[in-house]
Amino acid sequence: MSARQAIQVGTKTVKPVLSVTQGEARLRVLSLYKAWYRQIPYIVKDFDIPKSEEQCRAKLKEMFLRNKDVTDIRVIDILVIKGQMELKESVNVWKQKGHIMAYFKPTEEPKPKDFLSKFFSGVE
Amino acid sequence: MLRQPLTRALALSPSRVAPLAARKFAAQADKVEVFIDDKPVYVPPGTTVLQAAAEIGVEIPRFCYHERLAVAGNCRMCLVEVEKSPKPVAACAMPVMKGMRVKTNSDLTRKAREGVMEFLLVNHPLDCPICDQGGECDLQDQSMAFGSDKSRFTDIHFSGKRAVEDKDVGPLIKTIMTRCIHCTRCIRFASEVAGVDDFGTTGRGTDMQVGTYVEKMFLSELSGNIIDLCPVGALTSKPYSFAARPWETRRIDSVDVLDPLGSNIVVATRTNEVLRILPRTNEEINEEWLSDKSRFACDGLKRQRLVTPMIADSRGNLTPVEWEEAIVAAATALRDCPPDKLLVVGGDLADAESLVALKDLANRLGSEAVCTEHYFPLDGAGTDLRSSYLLNTKIANVEDADFVLLIGTNVRFEAPLLNARIRKAFIHKETDVALIGPKVDLTYEYTHVGDSASIVKDLATGTSSHEVLKRLENSKRPVVILGADQLKTSEGPALLAYTQELALSLQDKLENKEWKVLNVLQRTASQVAAMDLGYKPGVGEMLQKGPKVVFMLGADAGVITRENLPKDCVVIYQGHHGDAGASIADIVLAGAAYTEKNGTYVNAEGRAQQTLPAVTPPGKAREDWKIIRALSEVVGARLPYDNLEEVRARLAEVCPSMVSYGDVQNNNYFAQARALAQSLQKPVSGTLDVQLKQLEDFFMTDSISRASPTMAKCVQAVIKQKQSPY
Amino acid sequence: MAGALARIIHGSKNQLGFVGPLVTVNNGSVRFQQTKTSFGPLADSDRIFTNLYGRHDWRLRGALQRGDWYKTKDIILKGTDWIVNELKTSGLRGRGGAGFPTGMKWSFMNKPSDGRPKYLVVNADEGEPGTCKDREIMRHDPHKLVEGCLIAGAAMGAQAAYIYIRGEFYNEASNLQVAIAEAYQAGLIGKNACGSGYNFDVFVHRGAGAYICGEETALIESIEGKQGKPRLKPPFPADVGLFGCPTTVNNVETIAVSPTICRRGGSWFASFGRPRNSGTKLFNISGHVNTPCTVEEEMSIPLKELIERHAGGVCGGWDNLLAIIPGGSSTPLIPKDVCETAIMDFDGLVAVQTSLGTAAIIVMDKSTDIVKAIARLIMFYKHESCGQCTPCREGVSWMNKIIYRFVEGNASPKEIDMLWEISKQIEGHTICALGDGAAWPVQGLIRHFRPELERRMAAYAAAHGPSLAERLY
Repeated sequence: MSARQAIQVGTKTVKPVLSVTQGEARLRVLSLYKAWYRQIPYIVKDFDIPKSEEQCRAKLKEMFLRNKDVTDIRVIDILVIKGQMELKESVNVWKQKGHIMAYFKPTEEPKPKDFLSKFFSGVE
Repeated sequence: MLRQPLTRALALSPSRVAPLAARKFAAQADKVEVFIDDKPVYVPPGTTVLQAAAEIGVEIPRFCYHERLAVAGNCRMCLVEVEKSPKPVAACAMPVMKGMRVKTNSDLTRKAREGVMEFLLVNHPLDCPICDQGGECDLQDQSMAFGSDKSRFTDIHFSGKRAVEDKDVGPLIKTIMTRCIHCTRCIRFASEVAGVDDFGTTGRGTDMQVGTYVEKMFLSELSGNIIDLCPVGALTSKPYSFAARPWETRRIDSVDVLDPLGSNIVVATRTNEVLRILPRTNEEINEEWLSDKSRFACDGLKRQRLVTPMIADSRGNLTPVEWEEAIVAAATALRDCPPDKLLVVGGDLADAESLVALKDLANRLGSEAVCTEHYFPLDGAGTDLRSSYLLNTKIANVEDADFVLLIGTNVRFEAPLLNARIRKAFIHKETDVALIGPKVDLTYEYTHVGDSASIVKDLATGTSSHEVLKRLENSKRPVVILGADQLKTSEGPALLAYTQELALSLQDKLENKEWKVLNVLQRTASQVAAMDLGYKPGVGEMLQKGPKVVFMLGADAGVITRENLPKDCVVIYQGHHGDAGASIADIVLAGAAYTEKNGTYVNAEGRAQQTLPAVTPPGKAREDWKIIRALSEVVGARLPYDNLEEVRARLAEVCPSMVSYGDVQNNNYFAQARALAQSLQKPVSGTLDVQLKQLEDFFMTDSISRASPTMAKCVQAVIKQKQSPY
Repeated sequence: MAGALARIIHGSKNQLGFVGPLVTVNNGSVRFQQTKTSFGPLADSDRIFTNLYGRHDWRLRGALQRGDWYKTKDIILKGTDWIVNELKTSGLRGRGGAGFPTGMKWSFMNKPSDGRPKYLVVNADEGEPGTCKDREIMRHDPHKLVEGCLIAGAAMGAQAAYIYIRGEFYNEASNLQVAIAEAYQAGLIGKNACGSGYNFDVFVHRGAGAYICGEETALIESIEGKQGKPRLKPPFPADVGLFGCPTTVNNVETIAVSPTICRRGGSWFASFGRPRNSGTKLFNISGHVNTPCTVEEEMSIPLKELIERHAGGVCGGWDNLLAIIPGGSSTPLIPKDVCETAIMDFDGLVAVQTSLGTAAIIVMDKSTDIVKAIARLIMFYKHESCGQCTPCREGVSWMNKIIYRFVEGNASPKEIDMLWEISKQIEGHTICALGDGAAWPVQGLIRHFRPELERRMAAYAAAHGPSLAERLY
């Protein structure tokens, strides 16, 4: 009772976005993942990107796992909503090729700071 | 020759010479009041209407008038109405009179201009779209401003326009003589400034043509200036033809480094490519002229370039490598070298930043063997006193001299614009010139005293019976110029000592205590800065020690060859051209040329000036001081400056004058230098010889001009011209 | 060459404010102090050039018989001021065309010396079409010129005289040279000339036949060995002239009459002609007259009388006259009605918008193709333009192109005004007076013969259709 009350207090003070429970949030995440997963062949085809389905799946997994440590239900919900928006843009081809490829953008190398590395890299 | 340079006989007339002599001495005379467009202006008598108008900012259009040339008055574009004169007068030639009222914008004036403009265009081909002058053409601009808005040249339907055969005046100047408007600026420049009377007019009236009388190359080291002088597209630059329009180019102010004078230039670039080099007015140095080498050698910046660092492979061939590899290889060589076996050589075109960085590096490695290629005697005061190795009179003051003694120098080719100054003084101011050294053509008459070094000794000791000694002693503003090349021999110190003795004894007797007599003319753009920074002139001594590592910073003069180095010596060459230095190198570090870096150069009179980067260095080449800075870190002797400001702060520490750009300081301590040189006055017996005797020697003297196809064509053309009967 | 100076002098005339009977000359009315009312014919006793036709010996002996070299020493010893004053009294104006008062010109040379020598230059480069007076002097009376040189030289303190003679005048140069040699041998010139203690040399310099070398500064350039191209003025030759020294350039006739003026007195000379136009003058009458001749006559003689009396009248009678060019090719022509009343002196001809020039009268009767005649003159000027300054170089050749189209009528009537404007754009805008001399004949033609030009164009258009020149309009 006390625990329930506590939740009630929580829900009272913090308005849920979509999910009320952790499990509900999890379900939403999984269904989003599945939707993306099923869309991948069409994305590869529609956008004619130079990536295979496997690479795209790996990227999908990578991007979901990036947020694996998020526990706040409200944050999860927001992320899911954003994911759904992205998905819709992809499905409807509102995005362009470059937007899809942006998921695969490699991480930027830090700019050289000291004289010698600047010299060798030809910066400046 | 349409109108001869004011001959010496004519110089008697005060009214005609006054504008030319007005530079300094006419100021004492009373001024007259004239009215330009009802605005009063006070000018000295003898000033022309055009100059008076310029005083208050009224620009009168002109074609033939040029302030540095004699007045021709033949284009008639500058006609203005003068009250109480029935006819319009030519403003460029009319001296002002008291109370004269000039109307530069009246109906009569405008009508006269429009009429002249119409006449000029009658026979001018309207081929502006294919004319290289387009966009910087006086005729184009002035016809827009002063011409009529419509044509009434009905005869285009009947007889058309005049066509004139083009002339061939060499590989630098392209002529399209149909466009000529007969302003005769080129003729006057050739006969007055360049001293070559080959240009002139033939024919009369509408058949008059400007050209060389017979087909002949324009044999002058200043020929390119007539391209700038030509108000239309009749004379254009051959190497630059059809290359670009003036509005497409970026113009970067810079400084020339191909002769020791440091002429001011403008580098015109487009898409990271130097297209042409034009002179920039600097009254103290080059006025508005530029020598042909400085102007046309810029295509050498695109040939023979070192675009990547290189290391000699096992078979001795230089192969391209990355910077890391080259720097590490160089650092290893430097680190393994005993300090006393390291030789550092600064070359002809090195900037002061890289020179100071290199010297700092060598000193940190424990080496003091930091040298330049050209020798200068270290005995006596050596390079400790700046007055011993500079042009103390200053370039601009040379034209005020009344007697010039040249010792072992062919000024005409070693410093063409200094020679132009001497010629100017000779023509306009009765200056006389004497030369000790081989007989060469200086474009003006001079007394040839002989070519023996002992003449200098006789003059200095006062034992000479030659009239020159008397002339020197009687002159009020004498100038003695010694060519630095003469100091390379074993008699160099004595020759320098005698020259100092001669010049300073003359200087002491002068009424004008500000006047400096002693001048030493260096041969290269870097030498003065190097000596200011404490480089030892000459490598001979160090070569004898057998260096293990030689670091050459653009040293391409051929002083160091494989033959005079030990077999196992490692040669590191840093520079921008694959020339004498790179060909003997084991490690090549690709540097930047003067158009590609922000570098400090000190000219022969001791004036610090800076170049600005006009284009980026090609390929992997880098700015020179940065290469040395990077190398220092790898070698473990890190130099304490990371950017240009810090390098210049270091320069200022070593030599404060080197960062006060554009200024030149007066030199003193002449007496001390003279005292220190007394003991060096040993007998001399040699003969003086100069390296550059003929025009063909002039064009290719450094790594840039040696790489220039245009300069090569010039040499060929001159040699061919010499075989011609004309 | 007719100089523009004539017009400047004309402009200052009113300031003199002479009061006298009003003489109406065609369209201009001018006041003169008139003491005489009729001029000419000249009495034989008053002729200066008594051997103009070569009937007598031209050498020294003949010259002495005719009174040359008589008391020359005395004249020189009377001094500079006296000679110059006598010339001023005589009212002699330069006979080369511009009509600058000679006495005043000589007095310019008497500024304090700055050590430079002074020179007298005699302009014997008689190249103006129609003019043939100087050659008569030089081949038939050369001693008048040589003596004149000495007197003029003495008046201005010159060291030497250079006679610049036209290259084509071979015989004249030869006679002149002989006369100079005779004068040297007789001690009349050279060291201690005429025993006056004055040293004076005379040199003959033969030109190469360029018309422009008759312009004084071009002539000086030519003597100096350069291309004969006029110099800018100022500085004037009196300041910087031959070899950079003060120089006076005078016409042959001016110099040749000066000894007689000095001998007979300036007032004698001034008694001929109207005031400010005084003296006697050699007139050359050529063209369509019955007896073309060179004749010495009094100034201010009416043009008609001059032609009727000395040239035997116009071919086919006075009514057959079309037009006259009264002062050499560079002066504007005047049509017959103006010729009736024209008076042959500086002011009289300025009043009818032309100029006395060298007084070379070219008579054209009705058989003349007047447009072609003027076109030929323009071709001459185009050929002789030195090419130095723009308006003359480009303008005259353009005028030449246009006017040759006018000859056949292949032009637009609107181009007549254009041609007029072009000639105005040349006139007064050039370094020397050649541009003016080329512009004036065209102006004269348009002024008086515009209907003729229009008629030709209409005839051409009728025969060939409209001219290409109409395109631009």
